[in-house]
Amino acid sequence: MRSRFDEQLAILNKELILMGASCEEAIALAAKALLTGDGELASKVVLMDDDIDEKEHNIESMCLKLFLQQQPVACDLRQISAALKMITDMERIGDQAADIAEIIGYLGGRTGGDCNHIGEMASATIKMVTESVDAFVKRDVELAKAVIDYDDVVDDLFDKVKYSLISIIGEKPNEGEYAIDLLMIAKYFERIGDHATNIAEWVVFSVTGVHKGEKGL
Amino acid sequence: MTKKVFRSIFIVASAMLLICLVVIVGVLYGYFTSIQKKQLETQTVLVAQGIEKEGLPYFDGLEFDNYRLTWVAADGTVLYDSEADAKTMENHAQREEIQEALKTGTGESERTSSTFSENTLYRAQRLSDGTVIRMSVTHYTVVKLILGMLQPICILLVAAIILSAVLASRLSKRIVEPLNALDLDRPLENDAYAELSPLLLRIEHQQQHINNQMDKLRQKQDEFSAVIGNMSEGLILLNEQGVILSINPAAAKLFGTSMDCIGRDMLMVDRCLAMQELIRMAQSGKHSEKIMKLRGGEHQVNASPVMSDGKLTGICIFAFDITEKERAEKQRREFSANVSHELKTPLQSIMGSSELIENGLVKAEDMPRFIGHIRFEASRLMTLIDDIIRLSQLDEGGDMPRESVDLKVLAEEVANELAEEAMAKNIKLAVCGDGAMINGVRRLLYEIIYNLCNNAIKYNVENGRVDVIVSSTADGVTLTVADTGIGIPPEHQSRVFERFYRVDKSHSKETGGTGLGLSIVKHAAQYHGAKIELKSNIGEGTNICLRFPQK
Repeated sequence: MRSRFDEQLAILNKELILMGASCEEAIALAAKALLTGDGELASKVVLMDDDIDEKEHNIESMCLKLFLQQQPVACDLRQISAALKMITDMERIGDQAADIAEIIGYLGGRTGGDCNHIGEMASATIKMVTESVDAFVKRDVELAKAVIDYDDVVDDLFDKVKYSLISIIGEKPNEGEYAIDLLMIAKYFERIGDHATNIAEWVVFSVTGVHKGEKGL
Repeated sequence: MTKKVFRSIFIVASAMLLICLVVIVGVLYGYFTSIQKKQLETQTVLVAQGIEKEGLPYFDGLEFDNYRLTWVAADGTVLYDSEADAKTMENHAQREEIQEALKTGTGESERTSSTFSENTLYRAQRLSDGTVIRMSVTHYTVVKLILGMLQPICILLVAAIILSAVLASRLSKRIVEPLNALDLDRPLENDAYAELSPLLLRIEHQQQHINNQMDKLRQKQDEFSAVIGNMSEGLILLNEQGVILSINPAAAKLFGTSMDCIGRDMLMVDRCLAMQELIRMAQSGKHSEKIMKLRGGEHQVNASPVMSDGKLTGICIFAFDITEKERAEKQRREFSANVSHELKTPLQSIMGSSELIENGLVKAEDMPRFIGHIRFEASRLMTLIDDIIRLSQLDEGGDMPRESVDLKVLAEEVANELAEEAMAKNIKLAVCGDGAMINGVRRLLYEIIYNLCNNAIKYNVENGRVDVIVSSTADGVTLTVADTGIGIPPEHQSRVFERFYRVDKSHSKETGGTGLGLSIVKHAAQYHGAKIELKSNIGEGTNICLRFPQK
């Protein structure tokens, strides 16, 4: 009985890693599309979002089935409930990567290179997503905490992007639409950073049983 | 073992018991029966005499415990019986012993009762009056005797069982003890039963055989791990589910993991989609390869299925560095682009000018300028082709005549040659140092100094300096060309010796040159076994030093 349960948990773990990898790929592609203005890459990201949604659905039903059939307790319960929460954040990351890709389509071949910090912000966000998935794979609480702290860096970068866009609008008023589009993209990146933070928090919870510094179960 | 010994002992004990019983009972029974017969005979004789003397009243005084007495008339009628009423008894004339007695005087017989439990002996004697006196005695048969002895026999059997069990366990222990004490690691040193020596010998042989095999196996394993461990390519073996079975240190480094990932899923080590695709392809039995960015640059990663009997048993992942290959590829592409560009530019000029002349668009007074232009471009092309030919000669290798050359003298010759160009930029070109003789190809050495000095002047600033220093040390001869020019940026320093490589990509015509100068220097220096050192700082100048080995 227990060995069957362990097997199911291993499959759940594997599926989560696969979903995390898909999210990483989606956001990396979106960032690349942004910096190269490649519309084809952007449409690929939209396709990946469907795949991520499907993965979320599968993992969700897997978790519910485990709750019903195995009635897990203690650390198993933490692992499964954390998984259930994490996939929501991963799915949002996929959605936002797709949203970014969609806006890239509106830029009409222009790249995000005109704004100084947006590339930097994209790579900072990719780093956060990659490391949050890494923290999950390695069950590394320290790394997860580092990801949570790194969110401040992304927030600061968002402010920088905002100011540089304001100055673009100030200098060239006809660039307004472009600047607003980039601002949206930056906001999405900032949100993705928040979701990566959430994932990292759930990693901490599934290992230690403490979520966001609350008292544990 | 104990069971077998017990069974043997018990069977032997029981058999002995049975045989003893049969023999003893048989012998004793026969003996006692014969004694009884004799007593019966004597008694019968005595009784017969008594009756002959006293007649019927004789019986009254008689007291028999064991014997039965019957007096039978000659016709068989029973006259008296010591245990029953004579009148009710049947006629005895047909009895065997009585008939015999009537005939011969005495008779004898033996009869067993219908239950086989008793045996009766009869003895009859004819009296003088023709009547017969018969005596009988009854005793138990063998069967009854043995049945009577059943209880002691059972007790004996139980005793035999217990005794056999105890004996068997002790015996087997005694037998087994030396066997247990055998040292199977050194079979021949044991001092156990002689009967075991063939077995021990066999064990010894087999042990040696196994040890040899193990040693060979271990050696193979060591060789294998040494090869795997020391190769710079990454090698990972997975089982069919994608769990890591083995990973070499190079692969662990490339994927940023450690040796303790063995037993985990490959996903835990690298989860990128490219790797997932590779594993999926291998799982479906197909070989596939991908270029991936791993720690330490671009790598080609190959994944092959490991098949056994047409079934997938594992996956082999092999990763090797292609950074160098990519770089070489890039260089080659750049080279072809450069060479075609360099060759095409002068031709384009010539074509343009000659087309203008052909169409009569050039005024007569401009004609000399155009023709001069054509001649200039043609000579540029010529120089370029000359350079290429020289380079390919160097590439070919081939032996060129060597002679003793004084580098300083050669450098002074070059300085004279270039004096005019140096003057044009007001550059001070100085040769200093001692005379240094080396054994080399004069033309190539001239080429080296000429190209180095030419570059030093070309890429110099107005009013700059070029110093050619020749010095001779114990290690060999050193030729240094130092300038105060524009310098070479660090990222280009490793590439300036490539053919057609230019720091200034615009290939500006101001400086002229073919882009082959330093390449010729490099090959010519190689021909002489010299080492080139390049030191350069932007805005400060360049210092190129050639060290010729002492021959």
